[in-house]
Amino acid sequence: MERWSKQSLDRTYVPPCEQACPLHQNIREYVDLIGQGRIMEALKVIRDSNPFPSICAYVCPHKCEENCRRGRIDKPIAIRALKRFAVEFGGDRMVRIEQKTLFEEKVAIVGSGPAGLSAAYYLRRFGYPVTIFEAHPEAGGMLRLGIPEFRLPREMLDLEIERLIRMGVEIRTGTPVTSLDLLFRAGYKAIFVTIGAQQGRRLGIEGEEMAGVVDAISFLRDVNLGLRPLLKGKVVVVGGGGVAMDCALAAVRLGSERVDIVCLEKREEMPAGKEEILYCEEEGVVIHNSLGVRRVVGERGRVKGLELMRCVSVFNEEGRFSPRFDESSISYIDADYVIFAVGQMPKVPEDFRLPISRAGTISVDPVTLTTGRPGVFAGGDAVTGPSSVVDALATGRKAALRIQDYLQHRYPFEKEFERPILKEEMKEKTVEMVRKVMRFDPPRLKVEERVSRFEPFELVYDWESAVSEARRCLRCGMGAEITDQERCASCLTCLRVCPYGVPYVDEKGRVVIPPSDCVACGICVTECPAKVILLRRPSDRRHIEEGLNYLRMASDAAEKRPTIVGFACQYGLFGTGSLSPLFSYAKGGLEVIPVLCVGKVEVEHIIKAFELGTEGVFIAGCGQRQCARERTLEFAREKAARAREIIGGLGLEVQRVEVFDVEELDIRIAIEGFIEKMGALKLERSLREER
Amino acid sequence: MIVAQQKPLEEIIGMLIPYDRILILGCGTCVTVCNVGGEREVSLLHSSLRLAQSRGLAQGKVFSEYTVKRQCDKEFLAILEEKAREQDAVLSLACGVGVQVVADYLPDLAVLPGVNTVFMGAFSEAGTWDERCAACGDCRLAATAGVCPITRCSKGILNGPCGGAKNGKCEADRSQDCAWILIYRRLEAKGELDRMRRYYPPRNFRTTSRPRRIQGR
Repeated sequence: MERWSKQSLDRTYVPPCEQACPLHQNIREYVDLIGQGRIMEALKVIRDSNPFPSICAYVCPHKCEENCRRGRIDKPIAIRALKRFAVEFGGDRMVRIEQKTLFEEKVAIVGSGPAGLSAAYYLRRFGYPVTIFEAHPEAGGMLRLGIPEFRLPREMLDLEIERLIRMGVEIRTGTPVTSLDLLFRAGYKAIFVTIGAQQGRRLGIEGEEMAGVVDAISFLRDVNLGLRPLLKGKVVVVGGGGVAMDCALAAVRLGSERVDIVCLEKREEMPAGKEEILYCEEEGVVIHNSLGVRRVVGERGRVKGLELMRCVSVFNEEGRFSPRFDESSISYIDADYVIFAVGQMPKVPEDFRLPISRAGTISVDPVTLTTGRPGVFAGGDAVTGPSSVVDALATGRKAALRIQDYLQHRYPFEKEFERPILKEEMKEKTVEMVRKVMRFDPPRLKVEERVSRFEPFELVYDWESAVSEARRCLRCGMGAEITDQERCASCLTCLRVCPYGVPYVDEKGRVVIPPSDCVACGICVTECPAKVILLRRPSDRRHIEEGLNYLRMASDAAEKRPTIVGFACQYGLFGTGSLSPLFSYAKGGLEVIPVLCVGKVEVEHIIKAFELGTEGVFIAGCGQRQCARERTLEFAREKAARAREIIGGLGLEVQRVEVFDVEELDIRIAIEGFIEKMGALKLERSLREER
Repeated sequence: MIVAQQKPLEEIIGMLIPYDRILILGCGTCVTVCNVGGEREVSLLHSSLRLAQSRGLAQGKVFSEYTVKRQCDKEFLAILEEKAREQDAVLSLACGVGVQVVADYLPDLAVLPGVNTVFMGAFSEAGTWDERCAACGDCRLAATAGVCPITRCSKGILNGPCGGAKNGKCEADRSQDCAWILIYRRLEAKGELDRMRRYYPPRNFRTTSRPRRIQGR
């Protein structure tokens, strides 16, 4: 079984979103940072494992969202939209990366699609001189020729390519490579072939060659090169994938009278993303499911319509693509234009002398990406057949790592995850107990505004909705753990306080907190009488202590005591901003210690705050309405009550500890009242002392 | 399980007056479970005493803290050779048993109780503990359907009910259930009501001498 490495303080599991992402982005971390309002740090986390976040922010098919465990409770987190928010609000445009050349071995990349750009990015980061060869006049591959502008603004693509060039990557456009030998002769030590799958497939049926029939790749290429053909009349797109949806949306924007989609799959089997299907339907595209094209019907060499037959099943028992039709159920659809979006295949120049599979793709070793030829690696759509941008970026990274291994004469070794992965599903009881919080989808332009323009219609979140959305995250795999079973007194306090019914007693009588259920609220951590429960993420463990220590050092250095110390929810302070007015009282000596949920405040923290010499201590929650947690303020109130008991025993007034609920009272009014009260207590005391 | 309650902070501070270096000693068993003497409470008491110092109370004292697995067995106390060296007093947060074993183990030091041991009982609901056993040495639970009349009846009578119960509640304390009505209902549900007819002669508590001791085990 996989384990955490001994040196690592990080005891978290790899959550399902991270497992599903081809780039294994640390999604949980950046979503949490967005929730805390730390957008630039979120962008940094994204950049750590994604070479082109601004591209993914627009076009990622987000497998992470499909695997998000929140989906079982209400709806998955809108991860891609949050990434776009982080990219735009975190200032990705301003990111500059500089890289010196550290090695002599030159690497050539054939093709400037997402896989090629990604490989170039990483090889350059490792310090190799990199040259990209691109046959087309502009770099980008399918990002430029395949994806329509309303899905990915060209400005974003240009930005990323510009950044690559600044890093020192050489891009030779308009330079088709016909032979790899020439590249080796030119001194390149390794070659990454990523020429994509740029040839549209045809079905091989009657009438396909008629005027008005095109394949999706040629159609989109024309559209994206700015040759925007006017499609007068009815357009039928054949296919159920993302490319078909793009064609349909493009056809809507090209003045067509009506757009229909015909596909083999049933509605729920369609490979296109749910959002893409939704956008098509919003724009009036009609989708006809479970239909196959029998033949193209035309008149004098021009298409007039399609003869369709019922598709009984798309996949065979083994799950392979093998459609079966019912030839007795025939229908007909009118069409002035037909776009076949039924797959693509690569066109590998023969002089490359690379092994080609039966499907027409390049055969490679799946682990090392090596082809039969020494020094030649291949990846991307040319190897896998058409797939997504994020898959291409992942392949590019993998290729860069393997090429680095090759050039340094190392044995290729890759461990997919450093930490164990979270496998089990959340138990039913917990699913029911977790608070339901509405998903915020990012806004988009109205249909009438968007159908006439080739501009992105999905808009970016505003701050508040992004933060509210991010805070829905369940923090899978970073929950609490009993660090020392020996010291655990089996008191069952954790089991009794957990708002989600997570801990249980196993058959050996041990208390267990299953990582698959815990949502890391931290309540049990503050209650465990033996202090053996800790949160799995290091930054969650001591942040309040550290805040107090920092405050102690700062007040010692300034020789000034804080008059009031407040433990305030970080999410409320910087995320939603419901508590941000607190900062305007800093001049009066109010010190705020941000806490990642007030449920994590312990009695001892309050006592330690008094040790700093403060007059009063308060706890301020973000407001239950915005909180994804249950009863946190209630727990904070219990802690405050205990702290009052203690300070009361020392002759301090119990009013010096307060808990604010911003849902009940505006934070400004609450804090001003508290400051006034503390002032009055001070006066009273000095009068008493005079007497 | 043994249930204890923390002593008021004033009393603790008062006890500590003669001593300068004090070890706060927690116990990882019963008092951890009832949340008065485990590591968390040791640490919290330590902080509270430091706060007291900053308020001008208990001045000039040096505190340290440690929690052992169980204070009622001297084998777990070996660590005190090191921890209690150069200390003047040990403030034990264990039950009375633990305090005494520590006092035996460290005869040269003042060993002070930080908690009041109150009873043997069980958890009932958030933060609430109920007495369940008086360690009387003559268990009758078989006859009373698992409800102890010694601890749960405020009069401790062996032949009840006394006749003073109202709506199932005790006349001495209206918040408490009458133990004998509970016994009756349980026996009724089991079909063993004939047990109620038996007469139990009064017990002579004078025959047991203290301290009690069990030998030969």
